[in-house]
Parts: sequence; C-alpha cells; structure tokens
Amino acid sequence: MAMAMVRSGLRTALRSRTPAAAPKRNYSSSAGHDDARETAKWEKITYLGIATCTVLAVVNLSKGHPHHEEPPRYDYLHIRNKEFPWGPDGLFETKQHH
Amino acid sequence: MIESQRHSFHLVDPSPWPISGSLGALATTVGGVMYMHPFQGGATLLSLGIIFILYTMFVWWRDVIRESTLEGHHTKVVQLGPRYGSIPFIVSEVMFLFALFRASSHSSLAPTVEIGGIWPPKGIGVLDPREIPFLNTPILPSSGAAVTWAHHAILAGKEKRAVYALVATVLLALVSTGFQGMEYYQAPSTISDSIYGSTFSLATGFHGFHVIIGTLFSIICGIRQYLGHLTKEHHVGFEAAAWYWHFVDVVRLFLFVSIYWWGGI
Repeated sequence: MAMAMVRSGLRTALRSRTPAAAPKRNYSSSAGHDDARETAKWEKITYLGIATCTVLAVVNLSKGHPHHEEPPRYDYLHIRNKEFPWGPDGLFETKQHH
Repeated sequence: MIESQRHSFHLVDPSPWPISGSLGALATTVGGVMYMHPFQGGATLLSLGIIFILYTMFVWWRDVIRESTLEGHHTKVVQLGPRYGSIPFIVSEVMFLFALFRASSHSSLAPTVEIGGIWPPKGIGVLDPREIPFLNTPILPSSGAAVTWAHHAILAGKEKRAVYALVATVLLALVSTGFQGMEYYQAPSTISDSIYGSTFSLATGFHGFHVIIGTLFSIICGIRQYLGHLTKEHHVGFEAAAWYWHFVDVVRLFLFVSIYWWGGI
C-alpha cells in the first residue's frame, strides 16, 4: 500500500515535471537582449569602424609610399632554383624593372 | 513522403558529389605536382581538377539549399550537424594557421648564421608595420562588427538592414584585400627572399586567401538574405559564415602583432 502510494506520487511528480512546451532555444547573441537595440548598437559600431579606417587610410595614403634601397646580392635573396612557368619574375616582382 | 515521416532526421538521397569531389581533388593534386615539375599536360590536368572541384562545390551546395530552404529537411536536430561540423572545421583552420605562425617563430627566435644571425635577415627590406599593415588591421574587425550587426538584424527580423549590413561586411572585406594587394606590390621583399620572405608570404598569403573565401561566403549569405532564405529561427549558413569571419579577423590581429610588428622591426 505504502509502495503503491509512493509510486503513484512519483509518477505524478514525474508527469508534472515533463515540460508543457520545450524551452525556447537561446542563441548566445540573443540571450537577455533586445535584438532591435543590439542591431542599432552594432550598426553604430560598424560606422565607427568605417570612420576610423577612413581616417587611417587618408593619413596613410597622403604620406606616399616609401622607396627602398636595393640590398646587396646576398645569396639568400632573390632565390631562383628553377624557372617560373610564366617567366623570369615572381608574381609581385615586376616593380624591380622600373 | 515528408507527411509520413515520424522522425526529425534527414535521410539523404544518393548523391554523385562526394565521388566527383574526390576525383576532382585527385586530378588537382596529381596535376599540381605535374605542373610544378617538368611533366607535359600538368596545367591541363590541374585546370580540369579545379574546374571539377568548383563544379562539385556549386552543385552540392545548391542541393543543400534545395533540401534545407525549399524542401524543409533541416529540422532543429538536422541543423546540429552543420553546426557541430563547423567547429572542427574552424579548429583545423586554427591549427593550419598556427603551423604558419610557428614556422615564422621557429626561424625568427634563433636566426641562423646563414641569414646573418639576425631577424629580419641582413640586407632584407621589410615593411614598416606602422604604414599599410597598421591601416589594414582595423578593417577586418570593422567588417566583423558589420557581420554582428547583420546577425542581430536577422534575429530582430529586420531583413533589409541585414542585407545592408552584409553589403558593408563584403565592402570592408574587399577594401582589406585591395590594401593587401597594394602592400604586396610595394613590399621590398618577395617570397623568394630568404626564410623571411617565405614565412612572411606564406602566413600573410594564406590569411589573405582565407579573407577571400570569407568574402565569398558573406556574398552568398547576402544574396540568400536578399532572397529571403534566412529567417529568425533558421540561418545556420549565415552563422557558419559569421564564425568563419570572426576567425579570419582574429588571425589578422595575431598576424599584425607577431609577423608585421614583432617580426618586422
């Protein structure tokens, strides 16, 4: 009798434990935040990033690019063990002619 | 068929793409080796292999979009597959790039006598890290901010904003690749200049290649967002692209600090 009561009690407890609706999946990015507000925030951060990069680009490009001196011909520089299929120069070496 | 299905799993149809992709990879590898050594027909086999792989990628992903977006096979439980698959993929990419960083550290921490016992090697011209490298470094994190903007816009159901955000992501990525090309063009050394040139070009070049892949990935997500494929609840492809993009922009920070700055001064 006692066992039957315990068993039925357990069954009721277990039944009430089964969730009526599965908990909604929480994406890491939406946990506890209002997505509309987050959208606006990240839009501003993006604009800030673009502004920073634009300023950096203007400063940098207005300086002009540096010219380097030709280094001595050390044998570990300009290594050529075999021909390139497309010709004598490496892909980014055409500048050495001008 | 779908009405009578009593489980939430996707039982895939037989597909020719795994074997066509494998054959393409085989032709690419053999053709690539032939091309780099004096064998006739190497370039042809390499091109055929690459065309085969690109074709397989196109039709395979086309099929996945049909199965997920149009036929509804990607239930919550099926979405776990590509999610869990993305994690080891990105981890393997981290390990790949780690090896390139390690190659650079190995050669620079104890420079050999053959290169003058110093790093950068004697006589080699290096880029000033305060110029284009410094300019190019904040561009990718800004693009990462734009992809987060897109993510929140998708979750908030703001479809148009999400498209704009993805356009911003892609534009910033293209600017970054443009500056990288400019940097290579102006660089005083190339891949054939000592171990410095090799490790520098391998690390920055493979990173640039990953930027290009991430850009394509974001372009595809932008098009799919424009077409209304991505919803609040279902945007696994976009999430994979966002994870990949964050991985690429974090690598750029390490690249700047360890290879351009520490390794270049």
